[in-house]
Amino acid sequence: MVNLSRRALIGAIGLGIVGTAISWPRLTGADIPGRGQDALTIALFGTAQDAAARQDLVDAFQKLHPGINVRIVAIQGQDWGTYFAKILTMVAAGTPPDVVSVATEGTQLFASRLAYPLDEFVHRDADVMQEFFDDVHPSLVEAFMYKGNLYQLPEAFNAANVFYNTASLERSGFGRPEDNWSLDDFFAVARAMQKNSEGPFLPYFWNNRLWGGVVPWLYINQTSFLTEEKARGGDWLWNRFYPNEPPRGGGFLWENADALNEQCVESFGVLQQMVGEGLAANPAQGGGNELVALFSTGAVGSTPAGGYWVQGLSESGVANDEYDVTYFPKMRGQRHQFGTAGYAIMQTSARKDEAWEWLKFCASKDGMRLGHSKPDSSLARKSLNDELYGAGVGPQHWEVFYDTLIKFPDTAPIPAPPQQAAVEQALLKNVVPTITNGPSGVRAGLQVMQRDLELALRRN
Amino acid sequence: MSITMPTPASDVAAFETLETEHPAPNQRAKRGYRTLIWVFLAPTFIGLGLFTFIPILASMVLAFFRWDIITAPQFVGFQNFAQLFVNPTVGISFLNTIGFVIVAVVVQLAISLALAILVQSRMPDWARTFFRSALFFPLILSAASVSLVMSYLFNQEFGVINQFLGLFGIPKIGWLTTGLGAKIVVLLVYVWQNFGFTFLLFIGGLAAIPKEVYEASSIDGATGWRQFRFITMPLISPTTLVASVMAIISALQIFDQPYVMTKGGPGDETRTAVMVIYDSAFQQLEFGLASAIGIVLTLLIMLVTAIQFRLSRRYVFYG
Repeated sequence: MVNLSRRALIGAIGLGIVGTAISWPRLTGADIPGRGQDALTIALFGTAQDAAARQDLVDAFQKLHPGINVRIVAIQGQDWGTYFAKILTMVAAGTPPDVVSVATEGTQLFASRLAYPLDEFVHRDADVMQEFFDDVHPSLVEAFMYKGNLYQLPEAFNAANVFYNTASLERSGFGRPEDNWSLDDFFAVARAMQKNSEGPFLPYFWNNRLWGGVVPWLYINQTSFLTEEKARGGDWLWNRFYPNEPPRGGGFLWENADALNEQCVESFGVLQQMVGEGLAANPAQGGGNELVALFSTGAVGSTPAGGYWVQGLSESGVANDEYDVTYFPKMRGQRHQFGTAGYAIMQTSARKDEAWEWLKFCASKDGMRLGHSKPDSSLARKSLNDELYGAGVGPQHWEVFYDTLIKFPDTAPIPAPPQQAAVEQALLKNVVPTITNGPSGVRAGLQVMQRDLELALRRN
Repeated sequence: MSITMPTPASDVAAFETLETEHPAPNQRAKRGYRTLIWVFLAPTFIGLGLFTFIPILASMVLAFFRWDIITAPQFVGFQNFAQLFVNPTVGISFLNTIGFVIVAVVVQLAISLALAILVQSRMPDWARTFFRSALFFPLILSAASVSLVMSYLFNQEFGVINQFLGLFGIPKIGWLTTGLGAKIVVLLVYVWQNFGFTFLLFIGGLAAIPKEVYEASSIDGATGWRQFRFITMPLISPTTLVASVMAIISALQIFDQPYVMTKGGPGDETRTAVMVIYDSAFQQLEFGLASAIGIVLTLLIMLVTAIQFRLSRRYVFYG
């Protein structure tokens, strides 16, 4: 039995209060380095190592702007969707960053709710920006237009091209495909690769995902699973900075489900045939490092990838001449698909001018060089890709990465409306049943996809 | 044998009894003791309040709102609950979950009991210790890591399982790419990882059965199945009840395995209720809908548990 005197009780409570006071910074997270500092906060998708890798960029920026402190917050996530959810949680918690790195997947979500348009800044610094736009393909800029306003400056991008294993292609008896090769050519090469292979082998390996999944096969058939329109507006940008290009409007609008159009059915039929013949993997499996291993060991003949994969293959010990890159084959057209990324300024930021300086610096040649010193993505500035891939790391035909935009000017971003997460889920969950239940299963699968997409687009 | 856990109330009662037996009126000490009880309980109550009860309450309120984190919550009445009947994915996910629970719990209990009986049967002590540890081991592994490894093993084209089956001329099986295959793999991985705890419960239950009962039944001519049916089963029925309640609650919350291995696919074949809650909240920013699904799932768990306890009056033998 314990007799607790008043003095002991007060002492115990006092100890509790002292303990709480001492641990207060930890309890409130105030001891997290950088928190509470007077700094421009920049959130990016990545690890602490990714944040550390940008230290050169931060140092260079602060040398130019000594009055602006910069704090990089790396946010880890399984995919862009998880990353966006974490950013939104920061917003809800009342600690939103000033600047956020956003990829195509989230551009319209952020533009419609969280991001601040850059129009006034671009006008203000038009002379400086002219040099940037002169070096950047308008397709990349268009991807960051939403309802007539510009929300981001493209920094890096990845078009979906076809990476192929040179030994597998050699064994098939075919040479490097022509740039405008047809779907029949693709099937002929794939069948020959398969026929002449040894051990477990797949001529084409792909994943069920938004970038590099089914969309390239829809785009080359001049179709998509959503209707595509252009918003009005945007002339202010096109007329001022791209006077020799036809105006592109105010950005893409993907507002209705369109999975049952005949060209879409046809493209899914092609994929069904590829999987049915054993020429392509079932897309419900694999990816990431597994795919690197399979590709580098010759177990996979070809796969959709972009400039980002050069660094991954290099790190895995794949020599430059062991693989190469080409365009997607032609169906009704040869429109390609890309994803791009750049920084957006948050509406809630009280440091919009400072944030704009950061965006401008990252879009400059020096900033872009420092931000992407390794070939982990193609760069928005054409001139810098020559430095990045021409320095000896990468496939022989690395020009394909940027030339995709030039050669096929209708090349477009992955369709990602503000309801992107719901739309992506509706697409991904129906791809596998649509292409793995025989030719008759294609239309039935697309009917379910159409229903799910309609439900997804109904969300606000 | 019954064990009475000390509770604050019983301690106070004991204290009062003591005081009655030793009438040294020490009101200050009594008050001090009562205060001490609450001081020690306070962190638990505060923790439960902050991290359990308030979130539960908030979730219940949120179920009647539409909230996407960014904009202010908007009251929508029962609209989120109505969504459960309109949205086909939600319905399918609940059916998948219920189907999974039925099969997984039966398989898990059967395997755990069979292995517990084997381990408790005649074998050297070192072997018993080894098997107890070995069979419990999967439980302490990260479900996400295990699922990731399993997805490589069951890969249709390059997985070790299909490579091995290929040695016997068995064609490649779409383990994770067909509805039935994906369900089987998710079930296998889940049961393999979770039966360890149930197994330990059964070990404890079996160890508590007096040997004399078996000896007496042997003298009466009962062996094998009859002993299992009329002695083992009734005497471990309280353990079976606890094990089944915990297994059902755990299985109703399945998430990691299908999320990592199949993402709920192909189609919605392995999508579970908790996956839909996660997707609704953290992918589609529909926190109200996610809360509504969570409440329905909680009610389902409570209903199933209540039914089990109700049935236990008839089937559980407490000796």
